[in-house]
Amino acid sequence: MEALIGNRKIDFERTVRAYGADLYRYAYWLCHDRFAAEDLVQETFARAWKSWQELRDTGSVKHWLIAILRNESARVHARKQIPIADEDVYELEIPEMPKMADDLDVRQRLDLLPRTYREPLLLQVLGGFSCAEIASMLTISEGAVMTRLTRARQAMRQESAETVVRKVST
Amino acid sequence: MNCLEYRRAKLADPRHLPDSACAHALNCASCTAFAQSVDDGDTEILRAATVPVPEGLADRVLLRATGAYRPAWRAWAMAAGVILVVGVATVLFVHAPRDAYARLAIEHVVHEPESLTTRYQADGASVAVALRSVGATVRSPLGQVRYIRLCPWGDGGTAWHIVFETPQGLATLIVVPDMRVRSESDASASGWNAIVQPVQRGFYAIVTSSPETTARAANLLRTHVNWNA
Repeated sequence: MEALIGNRKIDFERTVRAYGADLYRYAYWLCHDRFAAEDLVQETFARAWKSWQELRDTGSVKHWLIAILRNESARVHARKQIPIADEDVYELEIPEMPKMADDLDVRQRLDLLPRTYREPLLLQVLGGFSCAEIASMLTISEGAVMTRLTRARQAMRQESAETVVRKVST
Repeated sequence: MNCLEYRRAKLADPRHLPDSACAHALNCASCTAFAQSVDDGDTEILRAATVPVPEGLADRVLLRATGAYRPAWRAWAMAAGVILVVGVATVLFVHAPRDAYARLAIEHVVHEPESLTTRYQADGASVAVALRSVGATVRSPLGQVRYIRLCPWGDGGTAWHIVFETPQGLATLIVVPDMRVRSESDASASGWNAIVQPVQRGFYAIVTSSPETTARAANLLRTHVNWNA
């Protein structure tokens, strides 16, 4: 029995060390506060540890942790969700864009994105999740995820172009 | 697949393109360039989104979630660390200049400038925990506490780093448990002033921008905190 608990703890420690940083960064972009982000990560892993023995598929542990973190974030912040119309992606324009500027600019542009666009973009770029996995986490259709990702990248590129224009004209 | 379809697919999921999209890009220089710009954009987003992770996060998570669990190798590392800290502390205690800890406190503040620009409404319970670590108790709330963090201190120790508002401006309180100092001391450096005061189970330091503000902050703390409870 002790050996079993020991193995569980070792598995859990490996998971914390493997995914703690990714979860922290994701939490940071959810709440924009490093203290609140750490609290979220702490709470997420505390809840995960309580249910650790119920985890059957260790291959999906990151997906599971993100789901706990999102639930915890929603519980803490109880944010009002802004309804988003996932319009047909075929109506969207695709601008040719120059290269993005420095990190600060990119961070500001990420900040300006509505959360409904920022979240799938970060899950894909930072978390490495597929559209299907993101759809399952956000409980929306895969098509809606693709639309939001397209819109998010367009918005980032659009902001980038405006930044470049501003710099050139000053 | 035509150019428009390719670009939609690339913007939605750049790393998982269907075979037909890959085939299109092979024969379309314009879409290949577009794909490169999307990949470059994602690289920049990844770099910008990779914010620094607080030191010791995993250890704090493990401590909270599973208790004070540590693998055997870490126990040995800790033992070695304790021996080192005791050695260093002994050397510091015997040979260090009288104002060494006051200067260390100033250095700590200078190296953590975000502590003075971050606004984080800490609850009274966190402050009470920090003060309890040196055997002190809160008589009455400190007022507006803007920052509280457990920081690495010296060689292997930890200290509570607290920033609070006073009528004269911001003051930093550093609470260092389990480290003895012989007597009160003070220092000024880099435009900062600090005093160090020994207490029951360690010491505390106050750092502000001037000796007058430090003295007032010290008086304020004596009113609000019972340092030798």
